[in-house]
Amino acid sequence: MGISILVSIVAGLGAKLLYRCSTVEQAQEAFASHRLDLAIIDSMAPGGGGYDLVKWIRTSGREPNCFVPILVTTGHTPAADVVRARDCGGNIIIKKPIAPIVLLERIIWASKEGRPYLFSDNYVGPDRRFQDKDLPTGSGKRRSDLPEEPFSTQSPVETEDSPTATAEQKASLAS
Amino acid sequence: MSSVRFVVPQMRLAKLLRTPGGLPVVDAVEAAEDNLRTIQPTCAAELLALLELCERSFAALPEAPDDEGLADIYAIAVRGIGGGKVSGLPAIDTALVSLCDLIDQLRTTGRYDRQAVGVHVNSWRLLQRGGLPDAATSAVLDGLHKVKRRYADESYPADAGPTAVANHDGIVQP
Repeated sequence: MGISILVSIVAGLGAKLLYRCSTVEQAQEAFASHRLDLAIIDSMAPGGGGYDLVKWIRTSGREPNCFVPILVTTGHTPAADVVRARDCGGNIIIKKPIAPIVLLERIIWASKEGRPYLFSDNYVGPDRRFQDKDLPTGSGKRRSDLPEEPFSTQSPVETEDSPTATAEQKASLAS
Repeated sequence: MSSVRFVVPQMRLAKLLRTPGGLPVVDAVEAAEDNLRTIQPTCAAELLALLELCERSFAALPEAPDDEGLADIYAIAVRGIGGGKVSGLPAIDTALVSLCDLIDQLRTTGRYDRQAVGVHVNSWRLLQRGGLPDAATSAVLDGLHKVKRRYADESYPADAGPTAVANHDGIVQP
């Protein structure tokens, strides 16, 4: 069902050639055999390897596909997977249900040129430090991107490494 | 000492999007919405099949803590998220997210509440029928939210009793 919904939206938005993969293995084969312009990967792909697939693509070293913009879709992210989601190397995570206009905005945002890709021992993917001025508008923004007043319910905590980190974020970083 | 390298790749998709002659945004979004309407019956049928699968899994869920059983129900529910909106029953998506939140909280904190899961499954059945007045739909979702919130509060005692009951129509009574 999820893949049918995505295909319907992407085809309507004008995508001409789609590789529809039901398993991680099929996706790896498509990745190895074709030049891709965009990858949309469900975090809960059958077998549960969505995040691992993203990481595999980023660390494969196969240019230019290792730089392909990757949108990760998720219906729900278990607490245990939050760090995996953050560190897998996807360009952006989209929460379901997905509206066509939201997907289009994210595609345009993720495809923007000039965003450096970072290769380090612990992370490979688009640099996660960027200005928020060009983030897509509408629903699904991170809480930290929203103005602190009057919406914020958290007290900002000053830390050495992250002067705007909230108490929750600080605890998360420490754990 | 770890090494860090930066690369600024060329984005072929950006060039494609800049190429003149493509669909206007309004037309593209409308075409996507049209496509979604064509798969509405299929999505509704698949969502119903997932619900039946979920009901069977819930029926097999024992009174004693069963982490594997909870994981099975989570896996079914998460597959349905997104299908409600396409099927014209968006409240189902909200109920499924609530069910996933609940199970995730239960599993993360090592707690177990079969009845709270059952309330969600019964509510899914109720919402799947469709035709509920908006006020009734809101009442169901509000009840589910209250059930879920009790486990989001870490001070809630692990050995406390059931958090909610549902009558035969699936109406939640926290």
